[in-house]
Amino acid sequence: MDNLSSLSYFIPELTLTVTLLLVLCSDLLHREQEGLDFPAWLALVGMFVAFVAHFGLYGKPAVSLFEGMIAHDPFAVFFKGFFIFCTFIIVLLSIYSSEVFYYRKSEYLAILSAICLGMCLTASSTNLIMLYLSIELMSIGSYLLAGFARSGGKTDEAAIKYVLFGAMSTGVMLFGMSILYGLTGTMDIAGIRQVLFANVSSDPVVLLSFLFVLVGAGYKIAAVPFHFWCPDVYEGAPTPVTAFLSVASKGTGFALLIRFFYRAMLQPAGEGTWSSLPAIDWMLLFAILSAVTMTAGNLGAMPQRNIKRLLAYSAIAHAGYLLMGIAALTSEGIASILFYLVMYLFTNLTAFLVVMILVNRTGEDEIPSYRGLWQRAPLPAVVMAIALISLTGLPPTAGFVGKLYLFIAAWHSGLYWLVVVAVLNSVVSLYYYFRIVRAMFLETGPDTAISHQPVYETVLVLLAAPILLLMIFFGPVLRLAQYCAQMLP
Amino acid sequence: MSAQYAAILVFLLVAIAFVAGNLILNRLFRPQRPYPQKLNTYECGEQPVGGPWVRFNIRFYIVAIIFIIFDVEVLFLFPWAVVYKDLGLFAFVEMFIFLLILTVGLAYVWKKGHLEWVLARRTPRT
Repeated sequence: MDNLSSLSYFIPELTLTVTLLLVLCSDLLHREQEGLDFPAWLALVGMFVAFVAHFGLYGKPAVSLFEGMIAHDPFAVFFKGFFIFCTFIIVLLSIYSSEVFYYRKSEYLAILSAICLGMCLTASSTNLIMLYLSIELMSIGSYLLAGFARSGGKTDEAAIKYVLFGAMSTGVMLFGMSILYGLTGTMDIAGIRQVLFANVSSDPVVLLSFLFVLVGAGYKIAAVPFHFWCPDVYEGAPTPVTAFLSVASKGTGFALLIRFFYRAMLQPAGEGTWSSLPAIDWMLLFAILSAVTMTAGNLGAMPQRNIKRLLAYSAIAHAGYLLMGIAALTSEGIASILFYLVMYLFTNLTAFLVVMILVNRTGEDEIPSYRGLWQRAPLPAVVMAIALISLTGLPPTAGFVGKLYLFIAAWHSGLYWLVVVAVLNSVVSLYYYFRIVRAMFLETGPDTAISHQPVYETVLVLLAAPILLLMIFFGPVLRLAQYCAQMLP
Repeated sequence: MSAQYAAILVFLLVAIAFVAGNLILNRLFRPQRPYPQKLNTYECGEQPVGGPWVRFNIRFYIVAIIFIIFDVEVLFLFPWAVVYKDLGLFAFVEMFIFLLILTVGLAYVWKKGHLEWVLARRTPRT
């Protein structure tokens, strides 16, 4: 489809662009204040409009936009909604956060909108150049936000580590893309598949180039062995930014991985299954990656004393669970990833919001400071417990349903050993998640009550309610995930 | 076939002879007064050799980035101007939206004072 007629499929992104520009301009005309000021309103309204606009895209037929640069399909629309919703919540969290400079808030919000735009584009790109540019758009913004905290020291370390790891891994990814271009002579991802499968190429260079691209995606989702930045960056970055990285950045990594891998390296073989090139066993590769990632994440989380570091290792473990869906090599696997991401969005944002409330009021993010939280701040304590149960994957929470579907998808593909490893890992994770629950409910701490912004109570309830509701009413979301597992062929 | 390249060979030889001849002539006629600064490797306004951990002003980057933005803008303007006649009004509007977005960037750095080399120190309001 040509450029002009593509625009009607591009409304959420256009809204984000306009929001970004307006927020930047409002910074010039307006003196920033603490709390919900004009730029913050602009950003919230912009995100809201973009989110509403994205629903209009579900009804439109799947097409290729902008001369084959970008795909419009249910898969892309799902991720657009995911990223915009997540950014909206993060804007809401950041406004009252004491960790972000209020007098640089417009700058912060503009960068956040730019990252969101980059993420939306990453999920829909079907051309290597476009894919790389969108990833860079989101990465560069993320590097800036990681160093945005008021306190120096750790936040600088976080930003520098994030930049160095990021530059290295996107560089390797670009190298992999250039090899692929050299092998196939096309930048179009579906075109790459055509050439690879037409020549039934079992060239080891194909595997190598894909592994290079995997470095870039693996870095975004924090899969072992590209996870080293994760604990340090999560600890040093301002908490709202950490929450954003842990949910939206991981989502982008999976969108990139699924779009690239399923479109370039696999061929649909009917009835929701995919076949790979004869010489390469992708299933085994992803299964091993998944098993190693979840085990390393869970074992790493055990000795942690800092809650943000603990949640960082937990994020690594969850990347491992999510990779099971990719290892399945079926549409069912993709659908279970999408469902899991929805549940992960609510769960992780809830957990990080509680962490943020505590950091704002007490400046503490060590686990012992959660002692007796039940008496000091009942609502955050209860909500945190729900989030941790969901992260463990126990009923009655959405985490249980999410994990169940991932396990079923892996089981249907014959990865029995991987399911066993994942179940064992979930048992291990019970130990460190419930250490926090025990500290909150069974141990006693100082008597001082922790007050917080009244708006947070509403946000906490709104974020935590879906965790419980998704356990019972998972049907609609699951159907949505199954529908959105469709990509342009 | 190879005769076609004869001109290039001649050009190459003349070029070498021109440079070599000039250097030799210079050597014969110029005064010889070497001193350390003169023998240094040329680097614009900087000491060419030193420790790698020197701090230099972050504002160099800002100026460089502003330069790149408008450099790229011109890069896009040239091909647009070449085919402008065929594209018509649509291209005109499209390019002005692009320029408008870049102008927002210019307005931003201007208002924030990044076009002044000596930047007023920004202090947080309490």
